[in-house]
Amino acid sequence: MTKRVAFAQLTSCWGCDQSLVDLHFRLLDVLPELEIVYWPAVVDYKLKDLEALPDDSIHLGFVEGSCRTNEDLHLLKTMRKKSKLLIAWGSCSCYGGVQGLGNQWPIEELVERKFLQADSVTDPRIPESNMPGFLGIVKPNPAHVKFEMVLPGCPPTSDNTYDVVEALLTGKPFDLPERTVCDECPKEREDKHIVKFYRTHEGKIDPNKCLLDQGYLCLGFATIGLCGAQCPTVNTPCKGCFGPPPSVKDHGAKIISALGAVAEMSPEELKEAFPDPIGSFYFTDYAASYLSSITAKKRKEKEE
Amino acid sequence: MTAMADTSSSSTKAKKKRKKGFEPRIVSFCCNWCSYAGADLAGTSRMQMPPNVRIIRVNCTGRIDPSFVLDALAQGADGVLISGCHPGDCHYTSGNLKMRGRFVLLESLVEQAGFDPRRVHLQWASAAEGDVFRDGVTAMVERIKELGPNPAREED
Repeated sequence: MTKRVAFAQLTSCWGCDQSLVDLHFRLLDVLPELEIVYWPAVVDYKLKDLEALPDDSIHLGFVEGSCRTNEDLHLLKTMRKKSKLLIAWGSCSCYGGVQGLGNQWPIEELVERKFLQADSVTDPRIPESNMPGFLGIVKPNPAHVKFEMVLPGCPPTSDNTYDVVEALLTGKPFDLPERTVCDECPKEREDKHIVKFYRTHEGKIDPNKCLLDQGYLCLGFATIGLCGAQCPTVNTPCKGCFGPPPSVKDHGAKIISALGAVAEMSPEELKEAFPDPIGSFYFTDYAASYLSSITAKKRKEKEE
Repeated sequence: MTAMADTSSSSTKAKKKRKKGFEPRIVSFCCNWCSYAGADLAGTSRMQMPPNVRIIRVNCTGRIDPSFVLDALAQGADGVLISGCHPGDCHYTSGNLKMRGRFVLLESLVEQAGFDPRRVHLQWASAAEGDVFRDGVTAMVERIKELGPNPAREED
């Protein structure tokens, strides 16, 4: 029996679709099993087509992107209603994504900065007619509706998505691993004694040794190992885009915890080394952090 | 799965009432070997200090994950006081130095997020310094009273 699948895109870069299409000929293995009922990125469907479907009629609903506008929220709720199994697909959906970093500022400030004060703006105005309107704060999608499954990644690799689809089709279990990127990384690790942190363009990277040992902020130690250590393998420090392993509640706090243990620097030097801690430690999951939820409550109180 | 809990609403009336006679609730993490013993000494010596601090004993300040502190703040603690051995005196040789490194990063993280970093404080108090512990607690309570209730605190 073919499974009916839907892919919904909320606020995101649609990179997850790109990653899925990158399966190339392997797509042919799974496509005969799937009946696509909604996938605006690839097939010409409109929102009303999704709304017209009976409830619980989609076997697998993939939701990509986070809710920044009221329209996103409506689409997410519609997907929930129409799908039997809902899958948070990609870091935006699981944790709020890069756009979650915007939670540092109130939405009014963000809108002004974007539409009125940006250097490239020649006709400053805030578009209002026929617009869905913004949500005040970005939350991870699982805080809005219930999800049966999460698959983080920015984007999840083609293999990740393939594995999930295959597991769902065959009924095999699929759990997120507790391992980290370091477990998949081929580089040689030693005892860590970091005396100075370098930016990626500074110094020369030894391709055989662990990047963190050399003083580059590679976040593989606190990041879930699903990607096959793509970045460290090519000498690029991990940015933590897949988010933390499932047992970790706050990615940035865990990173700080580890850095405090391995950095042999004075407190002042350590503070100076990270002028933008939120940007450095919460690349795609600030919206899922304790601090973001504190900010949300704080703004709510101000409105009252 | 993650830390972001759904924000539930609370009544404005009760909040106003709370601001009036505000008694801060402070969570304090004390290490077993110095500050917890120091706090005990302050107690047995009958030193007077405000009763706003709830002490949680940990074996070493090095055991305190920054997520404990953030979790406490997200759950509505008005302040978090971390108290450990003086640098060089750690029972486990360097746990307090690790906490010191974590603390500066945590402080700058909290500040960047627009949350007053004075709500989080790190102090050193040895097992013999009941008075230092008392002074630390008194200063912390005064500081938090000035800052007012934690804006993230839900109703009781």
